[in-house]
Amino acid sequence: MLQNIFFGLSLGAVYSLIAVGFALVFNILKFSNFSHGGVMSFTAYAGYLAYIWIFDGKVTGVAMFVAVVLTAAVVGSLTAVGIERVGFRRLRSNQAPVIYYFISSITLGILLENIITIFASSNFYSYPVFFSSKNVDLLGTSFSVADFVTLLFSTAALGALLFVLYRTKLGLAVRTVSFDVNTATLMGIDPNRVVMATFALSGALGGISGVFLGMNYSLYPQLGQLVVKGFIASVIGGLGSITGAVIGALLLGIIEVGLIGLVGSGWMPACVFVIMLVFLLVRPRGIAGVIVQEKA
Amino acid sequence: MDYIYSILTLTGITMIGVMGTYMVTGLTGQFSFGQAAFMAVGGYVSAMLTLRFNLPFPVVVLAGSVAATLTGLLVGMPTIRLRRDYISLVTFGFGEAIISVLNNSAQLTGGAEGLVGIPKRVDLPLVAVSVVCCLFLVACYKNSKFGRQSLALRTDELAARSMGIDVNRMKLVTFLFASAITGYAGVLYAFYSQYLEPGYYNWTVSAEWLIIVFVGGINSLTGAMVSAVILTGLPELLRFASAWRILIYCIIVLLIINYRPNGIFGDWEISRLWKRRKAVQGGRA
Amino acid sequence: MNSSIATPSTCGLLEVSGLSKSFGGVKAVDGFSFDAKPGEIVGIIGPNGAGKTTVFNLVTGVYTPDSGSVRLDGVELSGWRQDVIAREGIGRTFQNIRLFKGLSVLENVMTASDPYAPYNFLSAILSMPAKRAADRQATGQAREYLDLVGLGGMEEARPESLPYGLQRKLELARALAIRPKVILLDEPAAGLNPSEVREFIDLVRRLHERFNFTIVFIEHRMEVVMNLSHKLFVLSFGKLLASGEPEVVRRNPAVIEAYIGDEE
Repeated sequence: MLQNIFFGLSLGAVYSLIAVGFALVFNILKFSNFSHGGVMSFTAYAGYLAYIWIFDGKVTGVAMFVAVVLTAAVVGSLTAVGIERVGFRRLRSNQAPVIYYFISSITLGILLENIITIFASSNFYSYPVFFSSKNVDLLGTSFSVADFVTLLFSTAALGALLFVLYRTKLGLAVRTVSFDVNTATLMGIDPNRVVMATFALSGALGGISGVFLGMNYSLYPQLGQLVVKGFIASVIGGLGSITGAVIGALLLGIIEVGLIGLVGSGWMPACVFVIMLVFLLVRPRGIAGVIVQEKA
Repeated sequence: MDYIYSILTLTGITMIGVMGTYMVTGLTGQFSFGQAAFMAVGGYVSAMLTLRFNLPFPVVVLAGSVAATLTGLLVGMPTIRLRRDYISLVTFGFGEAIISVLNNSAQLTGGAEGLVGIPKRVDLPLVAVSVVCCLFLVACYKNSKFGRQSLALRTDELAARSMGIDVNRMKLVTFLFASAITGYAGVLYAFYSQYLEPGYYNWTVSAEWLIIVFVGGINSLTGAMVSAVILTGLPELLRFASAWRILIYCIIVLLIINYRPNGIFGDWEISRLWKRRKAVQGGRA
Repeated sequence: MNSSIATPSTCGLLEVSGLSKSFGGVKAVDGFSFDAKPGEIVGIIGPNGAGKTTVFNLVTGVYTPDSGSVRLDGVELSGWRQDVIAREGIGRTFQNIRLFKGLSVLENVMTASDPYAPYNFLSAILSMPAKRAADRQATGQAREYLDLVGLGGMEEARPESLPYGLQRKLELARALAIRPKVILLDEPAAGLNPSEVREFIDLVRRLHERFNFTIVFIEHRMEVVMNLSHKLFVLSFGKLLASGEPEVVRRNPAVIEAYIGDEE
């Protein structure tokens, strides 16, 4: 039982990285950024390639893991910034309706996925094993080291993000722009730079989650489609709320692990769908309770 | 010849599927990532009724479309009143759920191995006639009070409400009609290919339909149809590898979104040709 | 010409009392009351950010009031859905013009009669005679409304391609077409040049004579306010500051300080 909850939490921690990366962009541009999935696939491969080409034989164990994650985070940032340039910059200057952002983000997601398919083929690759499959005994139950590290590292990454958001000038600018772009611009904030910074932050999180997903599920081009987990978590938590996204993600992780135990992994997507539908019926605004209303 | 024949048939079926997406996206401005799942519902229900109970073809056609519509009701009811983002999520989740159900009820649906032994009841002429009929129905719908109200709410829900338009009801009606049409496309596919497998109805199919609608221009049914022919028929004929094909799609879409946001056809409809001619004749008389 | 757009049999009595709404602790509207008798033209003025548009949004059901009541001919409307309130007979235009860009000029006006169009789904998709007759009639009516505001001949144009002044007129025609008992105009003369403003005043007078509906409008242009309104309500920081006949309100020192003093 305790073991399952722990496993659920560690899964939820990865989901929360996805969900927060998703929520960051939603906060600023008010659309659901599905290109985040493409970033995740891309960085998962980038981490893998960095491992084979650069780091193999030079570092081992935890150091290797950290090196791979950092590479993925950097590549994720750069990719996300590039996506913003190609996919959204012009739309923003045209003041295009939200649906265009949406379709642009989906297209970019599919594009990245297919670039990977073309260059890496749709085969599965298995990620390097960073940690021994040893278990740690704690409170009479055993936990896997990988889960433990996942949980630890995700928490650290989220902590770092919160620090940036709430303790730095950049974070203040991001929060200001997400509150009201026009006023922020009048106050001398360059919205382009803030949007770029947001995409960079979101991409870094996407990179880290990409590596975790690769470790959990092995590598394949459609890996990034797990971005929906982040979306579901955001909906449960309340679209655009960072705290909500984290809570929603942890809940989703625990629910999924529970469901696999109850009904098996085959039926799990159907059950998650029903739960989500019921949730939307009961509390459409999500746990955090912010609802984004059209301005009258 | 057989090859071209089959491409034409499949393109026709895709056109009908795209009509469903056109309605959901072009008329009410929502994004359905589960449109292909309605095709699955239509296809599986009709095929299973035939295999189990040997019902006549017209009956299963009706049953397939009705089943898709009822599923649309189940999915649409709770979500349609929410922000547009949610409908994409829910339809996506619904698509995944349908695939997982189909995969896991092997005794009924053949599971991941697929459903085999469906009799062949559909050929190119039937598909061609279906395309024409469905196109007529959808075009009439667009040109009626339903289409006008849907288009109004697509551009501005708040203003639409201020005109007395029941926005949620309108979205639901359009969504249901789209589900029915897509379900029908599913029936056609099932009785043409004689074989169904859950993997065929992946969300990427729905996304591809969306892209087709966008390339044609979300305001133009004519555009959606032309772009369906160009984007599905042509690459098949030229035998492109699918990854490259999608890559090219994506680049086209990005170019269009950035540089020609109204799609290739803007809001031009072929029906304008004869409308204008009539106006000219009316002017003379 | 034989007109098919009948004049509404009753013009509405709008009574709003004790209307309040806060957004996150800020009281946007605070116990505001006003009324418009049948056939009256009522102006609501006040400094920027006083909550005027919020009042319109509360009356039309865009927002639900925290407290207070909105009654049309004695029927309580507060808490009703926005589209139901519109169908009860409150039409409106918007400060920032909100036309339906996917539809032609004619179709924009037709959306007003569409919620009532007497045909069902089946006759729509099969384009049956009943549908065609109903649409023909709706088209005819919409044309008349367009003629009334001076947009005749532009039926097939795209609304976004019209010049600004004509877009305002189109929005007015669209609001007229729902046959409102009360029509709310949110800064209808904003962005118009002086000659357009005079033309607009004449247009509103003409329409008022013809349909005799009740009009409530928000406006900054004193020319419009003084020329049109029978009665004025002044809103400041969400509260009623003064009300009464335009000339009297204009001389009220509190009003001059809060609003008119700013402008002149």
